[in-house]
Amino acid sequence: MRRVAIVGVGQTKFRTRREDKTHPELAFEAVKKTLEHSGLNINDIEAVVYGSMDPFDGIYRPELWDSTSSGIFKPHMKISTGGTTGLTTALAAYEHVASGLFDVVLAIAVQRVGECADAQSVLNTAVDPIYERHSGVGAIHVASFQATRYMHEFKATEEDIAWVSVKDHKNALKNPYAHIKMDVTVEDVLKSPVICSPLKLLECCPRSDGAAAAIFASEEVAKKIRDNPAWILGEVTISDNYYIGDRPNLAVWDSLALAGRRLYRAVGIDDPKKDIDVAELYSAFSIQEILELEALGFAKPGEGKDYAKNGITFPDGDIPTNPSGGVLCTNPIGASGLIRIIEASLQVMGEASNQVENARVALAHAWGGTLQFHTLFMVSSSKKFGR
Amino acid sequence: MKIGIIGIGLTDFRIHKEPFYNLAFEAAKKAVNDAGIDRGDIDSFVLGGYDNLGVGRTIANMYVAPAAGGYLRHEIRVADDAAFALPMACMRILAGLSDICIVVGFGTTSEIPLELVELQSLDPLFYRPTNLSIWAYYAIQKYAYSSKFGVDEERIAECVVRDRKNARSNPYAFKREELKLDDVLNSEYSVYPLRKLETAANCDGAVALILAEGTIAKRLSDSVVWIKGFGWSNSNYYFEDFERLPATKFAAKMAMKKAKMDNIKAFENYEVMDLVSNHQLMILEALGLADWGKGYEIADSLNLNSSGGALSTNAYGTTGLFLLANAAIKLREGLFDSSLVHAMSGYARRSCVSLLGV
Amino acid sequence: MEIVEFESFWNIPYKHSAGKHASKFFHALKEKKILGVKCPKCNRVLVPPRAFCERCFVECNDWVELKDEGVVETLSVTYVKFTGLPDPPYAVGVVKLDGADTGFLAYLGGIDLKDWKKVHEKFKPGTRVKAVWKDRPEGKITDILYFKPVEL
Repeated sequence: MRRVAIVGVGQTKFRTRREDKTHPELAFEAVKKTLEHSGLNINDIEAVVYGSMDPFDGIYRPELWDSTSSGIFKPHMKISTGGTTGLTTALAAYEHVASGLFDVVLAIAVQRVGECADAQSVLNTAVDPIYERHSGVGAIHVASFQATRYMHEFKATEEDIAWVSVKDHKNALKNPYAHIKMDVTVEDVLKSPVICSPLKLLECCPRSDGAAAAIFASEEVAKKIRDNPAWILGEVTISDNYYIGDRPNLAVWDSLALAGRRLYRAVGIDDPKKDIDVAELYSAFSIQEILELEALGFAKPGEGKDYAKNGITFPDGDIPTNPSGGVLCTNPIGASGLIRIIEASLQVMGEASNQVENARVALAHAWGGTLQFHTLFMVSSSKKFGR
Repeated sequence: MKIGIIGIGLTDFRIHKEPFYNLAFEAAKKAVNDAGIDRGDIDSFVLGGYDNLGVGRTIANMYVAPAAGGYLRHEIRVADDAAFALPMACMRILAGLSDICIVVGFGTTSEIPLELVELQSLDPLFYRPTNLSIWAYYAIQKYAYSSKFGVDEERIAECVVRDRKNARSNPYAFKREELKLDDVLNSEYSVYPLRKLETAANCDGAVALILAEGTIAKRLSDSVVWIKGFGWSNSNYYFEDFERLPATKFAAKMAMKKAKMDNIKAFENYEVMDLVSNHQLMILEALGLADWGKGYEIADSLNLNSSGGALSTNAYGTTGLFLLANAAIKLREGLFDSSLVHAMSGYARRSCVSLLGV
Repeated sequence: MEIVEFESFWNIPYKHSAGKHASKFFHALKEKKILGVKCPKCNRVLVPPRAFCERCFVECNDWVELKDEGVVETLSVTYVKFTGLPDPPYAVGVVKLDGADTGFLAYLGGIDLKDWKKVHEKFKPGTRVKAVWKDRPEGKITDILYFKPVEL
């Protein structure tokens, strides 16, 4: 199997609405930045993998219009898997190169949630119209189900969970691309209006417009492009059943735990707490980071709730999580997954805006559907895991 | 490394009264049984087919993943005609990340307002306000093609007759009634100069293929159909070249190059996704089998669309994979030794070509 | 220079077939009955009923009538109006019906929803709830208006 690395990344500044650009122009902005970062030009790109969660942007199959921004008469593949889209787009691009068929592949993800009047009503169209759509459920609701259950099982308080939001907002202040830039206290979070109990406004992700891209290259090519590529150590994706009622216990994200085990085994990770230096987890709602830390083995069940409060997940803590500010501060839904691996890559490249000291191994995660899908990636400054 | 098809499953292709995920389950289950394996033997699930507007459900793979057998497994979905998912599955196997991979596609054309759905893929600023439906666009293509190359009405209508004749002997096809040339020429117009009988036969159905890495394929099956090569391409979003299909040309070039084959005329069978009559000839030309405008000269000398083509069966989202499955079945039966299968999507601006052999 | 903006509305009609299994479930709702299916292999009783068990990858055709009573697993009360979604406040939860192995997404109601902490206390995970039906069920999922707490 070939070794593959990320050799260039690019993000647009994320905003509520990028009214200054059309869809393909926004995509082009990210592509241009990525080419600049890698020192390549568009003709070097041999294939393109494009990800977007279609209906939000008011265009069906935006890849058709956007393909003008990443090169025409190239193999162009559209990936769409809900919230994990950005990261499965990366996965597909990685496998393009790992297969040996291509040496340089561009992964691009674009989302313009700002063009859509209401994201939750679009997300409601994902819910089964036969049995469940009448219940008015969208993404926030499923996360609030997790919060209610977790608080009940592990006696977590609203303050415990609010600390995740405080951390993410503080981190976002250092990220030039982040959408929400606000320094908040626990009181600010707790006082913000309740959206879906127990989650409050400042515990929920924003709707962001923007695009992100990354270039994957084979080992021989990567070495020529930069001295500090982000090597891909492994990837895993998992799909659970659709119905939310099928989850054995919403306080425990067991499907993520399974995915984590498979990734750690493949890469050779013995103890995530010791072996992984930084994690970019898809925490669109404060509670989710807690469940993710526990599922991925960074914390024991019930322990995750104290991590943010005790500084453990802050950039200078033992388990820095979402130093970019995460999805809680920037959520161009179909692109958010790609941003996780971009930020993880920047960390191990040593080029991150909120750089964690000595970050050599980083984990990127995304979830999607009704808490149903997970995709994980491990990147590193070394070609193989091992110290 | 070689990649082989060791299991094939198809539902009936007709109007169904079951949701798309139940169709996907039926096809997947059939393929698993056909391969003589269990769901647990499959390590990767690569889904194809359209999402949101194309099926009436956002994140449709939430439903198809478990239906395909992907419960707690590796699953990814390529959002395009399911033929485009085949390269993804193959690349994963080539990368050494998968040994046995299933590709599942579905289409439920009967549940969706197809023209309105496809219209939304046009940008809201310049093209969509013209309300250019797919049929109107294909009709423009027919007009441009016939006037630029001087191809007669009859030559184009013959494509329908050709496909339906083949569909008559294909138990998997949807519309299987033979048509005479006059039937087509005298039928009512859809969008001038396209007649209704010159447009794809819309229906529902699902297809599943089990792919395996070569060494494993040989152990599990005595009748492996090998995937010799594949290629895919986009083309300009902005309309140009109405009388040609540049994406098809590039996809075929890539497939032949990656397969290290140089004679595209040497295949014993061709299955092409002719969403309208003129596409059949345009595709043959874009593949390089005939000069521009001369497709009709060779159409009858090829083993073309033994499946009946898209003019006989079009389940929006899986037609390409349907054509591929049909070719694979016939390859197994020894009816021919090699096949080139073509698919396209997105107002004919994207194409995927797969090369099969025994 | 002013950026041009214009509105666009999607009004795209679909007609979805529920299929044999869901249809049977809906017909039973007319009689105020909730049906589930039992997987012949793992013996789990699945609701909402489905054509196949995702774990065992087999068809499910054994029907089981469930009680319209069960236990709350989790809940949330929505206080914000989203386009096209119900007017707030409304409470939704997952209810494990007696006899079922999977949870059922449903409205919770019958009490004042103004104070979410009170709602969370009244419906906390483990609370027994019972369905409140429409007087004249029509064979739609909305025949079950909501689940209310069972007062002991």
